[in-house]
Amino acid sequence: MRQGKKVTYKTFVLTAVIGSLLIVAMLTVNTIRMSRRTAVATDEAVSAVSLFYLEAMADRRAKTITNLISNSFDEMEKAVSYIDNNEIGSQEELRYRIGTVESLLGLDQFALVDEDNVVYTHYTTYTGGSRHSFLSDEQLNDRIISTVSLYGSSKKLCLAVPTHELVIMGKRFKACFVQFDIRDIVDLLAFDDQGRTHFALYTKGGGNLSGTELGPVILKRNFFDALKGIVPDAVLEENLRNFEEEKGGDLSFSYNNAQETLYYVPIEGTGWEMAVLIRESVIHDQFLDISENNLEASRNMIILTLVSVLLFAAVLLFQLINISKARLEEEKETSRSFHTMANTDAMTGVRNKLAYSEREAAINSKIKAGEIQKLSVVVCDINGLKAVNDSQGHAKGDQLIKDACKLICRQFNHGTVFRIGGDEFVVLLKNEGYDTMLEDIAEFNRKVEANISENGVVVSVGYAILEKEDRELRDVFERADKMMYDRKKELKAMGAVTR
Amino acid sequence: MIYSKGKQIFLLVIMTMAVFMASACSSANSEADQDKNGSLSISETSEGGSSEDPASSVSDNLASSAVDFDHSLDSYEPHKDHYNFYFTYKTVHAWWDAVALGMEEAQRQFLDKGIVITYEYMAPEAASATDQTRKLIAAQKKGYDVIGVDVADEKIITPLLNEMVDAGTKVMTFSSSDAAEGCKRLAYVGNTHNYQDGVDLTEALCKKLDYKGKVAILVGSVGAPCHEDRARGAEDTIEKYSDMEIIAKKYDMDSVDKAYRLTMQILMTHPDLDGIVCCNMSNPVGAARAITETGSDAVIVGMDHDEEALRYLDKGVIYCLGVQDCYSIGFDTIQTAVKIADGNQAGELFPEKTDEITTVIYQKDAALMLELLYGDIA
Repeated sequence: MRQGKKVTYKTFVLTAVIGSLLIVAMLTVNTIRMSRRTAVATDEAVSAVSLFYLEAMADRRAKTITNLISNSFDEMEKAVSYIDNNEIGSQEELRYRIGTVESLLGLDQFALVDEDNVVYTHYTTYTGGSRHSFLSDEQLNDRIISTVSLYGSSKKLCLAVPTHELVIMGKRFKACFVQFDIRDIVDLLAFDDQGRTHFALYTKGGGNLSGTELGPVILKRNFFDALKGIVPDAVLEENLRNFEEEKGGDLSFSYNNAQETLYYVPIEGTGWEMAVLIRESVIHDQFLDISENNLEASRNMIILTLVSVLLFAAVLLFQLINISKARLEEEKETSRSFHTMANTDAMTGVRNKLAYSEREAAINSKIKAGEIQKLSVVVCDINGLKAVNDSQGHAKGDQLIKDACKLICRQFNHGTVFRIGGDEFVVLLKNEGYDTMLEDIAEFNRKVEANISENGVVVSVGYAILEKEDRELRDVFERADKMMYDRKKELKAMGAVTR
Repeated sequence: MIYSKGKQIFLLVIMTMAVFMASACSSANSEADQDKNGSLSISETSEGGSSEDPASSVSDNLASSAVDFDHSLDSYEPHKDHYNFYFTYKTVHAWWDAVALGMEEAQRQFLDKGIVITYEYMAPEAASATDQTRKLIAAQKKGYDVIGVDVADEKIITPLLNEMVDAGTKVMTFSSSDAAEGCKRLAYVGNTHNYQDGVDLTEALCKKLDYKGKVAILVGSVGAPCHEDRARGAEDTIEKYSDMEIIAKKYDMDSVDKAYRLTMQILMTHPDLDGIVCCNMSNPVGAARAITETGSDAVIVGMDHDEEALRYLDKGVIYCLGVQDCYSIGFDTIQTAVKIADGNQAGELFPEKTDEITTVIYQKDAALMLELLYGDIA
């Protein structure tokens, strides 16, 4: 048999816990590494696509504004033509026609200006020389696009068209114009944005026209003032030149460890620059959120795995304990079987001499301790066993022993029967068996006596009860044994075979 | 207790499934989050009298409330659904353009209620009582619901307004200049404390000069009540201090260029000039140009707040400016005109004189005012 090292419970549990922790640690490290790799990859991807995306966004928005301007000029020409074709005789009629033009052509705040710089709108007529800077020119020769900052800081895009041939109520009209609130243009552009980018409109000097925030650094401030100290002066000057010369360009800078990238394009005819800034910081934040969510999910997974592993280990341990218990029980059972076998007489099935010796030792201890009062011993001896063995063979002899044992057991069914020799039995009686002993002895003897004539089983019995002076069971046994021999003589006298 | 072999296998299978399901849920949760995110915000009013240096004690609240752009119509229900007014003011100038914006806001709000307000808002290129007279006579013939006047010269215009009222025309005055005392006009909406404005500005100057020195007074149009009242306030204030002297009083007729020329002349005559009190909108701008050009140390105080004046204030060329709330004047003018057109008299529905505030602002308020009023379109 191979002699291996013994695996204890402690070793098993320790192995299970360390194994589980190792698995969890590996999962954690792996998850963190994966999250970091994903973050780096996403950052690189964002940077790569942002400039391309910005350029497209800026161009599209700039085109939206140039289309608006171009369409508006066309509509204004149509409006002048409409008014010119209708003979207008009064200021009220002129106001009505202007109102019609506004609603038909969608030209908000359409106005006509006469040669005295009096402005005619749908509802008002006012002297506008100081209010509209383009009127400072004596005569307008071409379309004018200008930016107006009204009192109260409202900013408007003013489009004016000369109207040389227009005469109404005997007055020559020099121009018509419309004004768009830049906030409305911003709303138009923002509709297309869906919140993915920052954008703002700037004057050549970097003044914010749109009132929109261009990211967390520039905000609504002057473009160049905001970037002073954040980008090198040379870069700033180059971009300022681009603004002044109505050119496009791009600019990148870092802020709070986030890379911001913006792209700007000129808007033809306006002197404006449309700047678009990708919300890299926002994307970065969103990405961090994603990473954090992933990490949280991984953490949850690890916790769940840990719990599962611990649960798993607990179940395994529980099973191991149960298996061990079962094995122990089996061993005990085996031991009990061996013990029973060792204490049982193979022929009769009653307890044997070994069992009697063990019981005798136990009873002796109790006698010494004074824990036992009622105890009697019946000694039984089969008569004629030798004669049967000799004359009829051992098989008959064995049968005689079994019959005798059966007789004894049936009669002393409240006692414990031991076969202590080839033809000798002892019955220990306690409690009920003790109380009925004399009746049982008498009945047993009657049966035996009857058996003599019938050639049946004859057993000589003697008995004795535990007396105060008895020091051990042997003392009682000897008195019973002596009595049994006396009975044997009696039976012999009755004709029974005694040997 | 001993588990059967079948039960043990069953337990192991359940445990394994639990681990896999937990990891699958965690992973699915992560994917869902990713998908969700992946689809990818001292000044002082005219009543001021602070003991501390107002120039260094700035209140943004006061400066930002100098002009109130937040107006709503009151609960008055107009009788008609269309009103037609005529307004005439002193001269074509940015100050009155600001008044016009307030009027247009009121007009828009009436339109939202279904009431159409049409009006003319006319002025000459240069202030002229004669031109104003001509305009008023022409307007009277056109049957406007109300005629509003920013009086160019109270001596000339007041009698005309009385005649118009006597003839049944509903007349009101507005902006910075009321008619003369006793005029029959129905109401005035505008600055009612021009004299006090003159006093306040001059007091600020006197304090700055430590109550001694030579001072010039620039005025706008001769006879314009608001300009004359402020000039009187300035004269009365300087007279209180024995070490102060008025060395000149000149009229620029609401012309910046003339204000500049007048200041240059004064500086040539009095190179030791200590201060200038400017009583209208063109005065301080012209004076500031001259001061900048000559490098004089003269301290300028003056009225009103066009962009150029505010930029001079921002640079410290002008010491302080009196800001009138012209936007509110315009808004209240239209509201009052509607009530007058409906035949109401001054009293419960509107005061006979609507008092509009003037706020004195200093260098530290200038940037905020520029941003609030004119934005940045550099």
